[in-house]
Amino acid sequence: MSPAIERRRSPAEWAQFGIGALLVAVVSYPAIWMVLSAFKSNREIFRTPFALPAVWRWENFAEAWQVGGLGGLYLNSLFVTTVAVTLCVGCATAAAFAFSRLEFPGRRVAYRVLLLGLLLPPPTVAIPLFTQLRDMGLLNTPWALILPGAAWSLSLTVFLMRAYFNGVRPDMEEAARIDGANTWQIFWRVAVPMVWPAMLTMIILNTINIWNELLFALLFIVDEDKRTLPVGLVRFYGYHSTDYALVFAALTITTVPILLLYFILQRHVIAGLTATAMD
Amino acid sequence: MADIAAARPIEDRTAPVARGAVNLLFIAPAMLLFGGFVLLPVASALYYAFTHWDGFTPPRWAGLANFQRALADSVHLMSYVHVVLYILGTLVFEVAFGLLVAVLLNSDRRGFALLRGLFFSPVVLSMTAAGVLWAFVLDYRSGLLNSVLRALGAGDLAQPWLSQPGTALVAIIIVSGWKYSGFYMVIFFAALRRIPRNIFEAATLDGAGPVRGFFSITLPLLRQNVLVAVLLAITGGFAGFDLFFTMTNGGPFSATEVPATWIMKQAFDQNQLSYGIALTVVLAVVVMLISLIYLRLSERLSVTRY
Repeated sequence: MSPAIERRRSPAEWAQFGIGALLVAVVSYPAIWMVLSAFKSNREIFRTPFALPAVWRWENFAEAWQVGGLGGLYLNSLFVTTVAVTLCVGCATAAAFAFSRLEFPGRRVAYRVLLLGLLLPPPTVAIPLFTQLRDMGLLNTPWALILPGAAWSLSLTVFLMRAYFNGVRPDMEEAARIDGANTWQIFWRVAVPMVWPAMLTMIILNTINIWNELLFALLFIVDEDKRTLPVGLVRFYGYHSTDYALVFAALTITTVPILLLYFILQRHVIAGLTATAMD
Repeated sequence: MADIAAARPIEDRTAPVARGAVNLLFIAPAMLLFGGFVLLPVASALYYAFTHWDGFTPPRWAGLANFQRALADSVHLMSYVHVVLYILGTLVFEVAFGLLVAVLLNSDRRGFALLRGLFFSPVVLSMTAAGVLWAFVLDYRSGLLNSVLRALGAGDLAQPWLSQPGTALVAIIIVSGWKYSGFYMVIFFAALRRIPRNIFEAATLDGAGPVRGFFSITLPLLRQNVLVAVLLAITGGFAGFDLFFTMTNGGPFSATEVPATWIMKQAFDQNQLSYGIALTVVLAVVVMLISLIYLRLSERLSVTRY
């Protein structure tokens, strides 16, 4: 934090750091092992599981990319996630603004109903949702993942965004009101820029969740070329479960970008979880 | 203490920015989405659960038949035993472990932020990737864990971890802990940050060691966060599907069957939608009841203590 007050560390503090580092090393090792194994041949993985690869086989990645059709899976996941997250955070911010700042009939009831979603696990509606989407003609289209994905993320997003609104005094909105702005202008020009940091956090959290979603993606998409990454990975593992090097290469391709993105945005992810006040 | 007054919610002391039914437009998109894809399927589940229905021909009224069958379905009943064991496991390996790590890594010293970041990183991986990765770690023939055991000369401890009933559920609990303890660590770390440092310093001066300090200062001050974390672990645990599906899909011999995996098998593998739907209704009722009882109990707990 502030290096100016960096005193000498006491032995207890060194022990604290040492134990922490050891723990983190153990937790991180499976992922490191995965990346290293992705560069090996099958025989090497079996014979020398801990050694560095004798030859770094970059061609494993090209093969996994082609065999698994990972490019298409990436594009599908990207499309579904982008649209669903935009939809969810947009609707949720407007609703949170209304629940925190505006007065209208049915406000309490609507909010309570929305919070029911926090207690319902998604598997409870998977089957009726399947038949409903079929009847709406949405099954096997990206919308079968976008609309339910956004809807199931709403409760938590509204809940946390409302908490954020409640923590900020409405002075700016009142000033805009006195200047003659209408409610939409207050929302769009004043409130949205004001809560933007919280929206960014919700974008990141919902992106992680929807990008990784498996259950709906497994049930609502049939065609191979419309699948998202998690389902593609399960299928890939199913077909090639004995070809270790290939599966490790596919795993590495699909997880390393997410991990890199996380380390770039880490500050926002952790600050966001912190600020959204779980208490 | 001035900042505590400033952080008080403004809700109860300010007039709304605007009034009137026209403001419903701001919640309309969210409510439509929520109504169409959360409430509507829940409502139709409540109807179809009382019918015989294969998803194609018109449903026939069945009364309580599906629920009677659910009560007699031994795999279904055992799936609740498994999920409760799983949740108890996550309370230890996710919530309690996350809390301990938060205390361990709670320091301003250089390097600790990096350790926290690394410890959190499995949370952003997909459950699928985590499940496939750990299936290899736990593989009998060439998995990482058995390789370590053999390298240490303890080769007879090597187990087919995921393919024998005695160890499969424990393995999944540990993987779940690996995946999610970082999430709870961050929640607790954030709360620890808000505890003024001089409280700990005062305790140390009074001769309290780290263990005593943890139980008589940290834990009581974090009570509210622990209660929320336990609720998240319970509701999240009942929804558990991804890890079970990728690692064992309920096997071996139904030893890791949980409600979500069993529901999917009933409805889609055996094409008896209405029975699967009835099982989802049972699951929803169980989760809501437990959550409501828990919330009521935890309210009482916080009221009496403060």
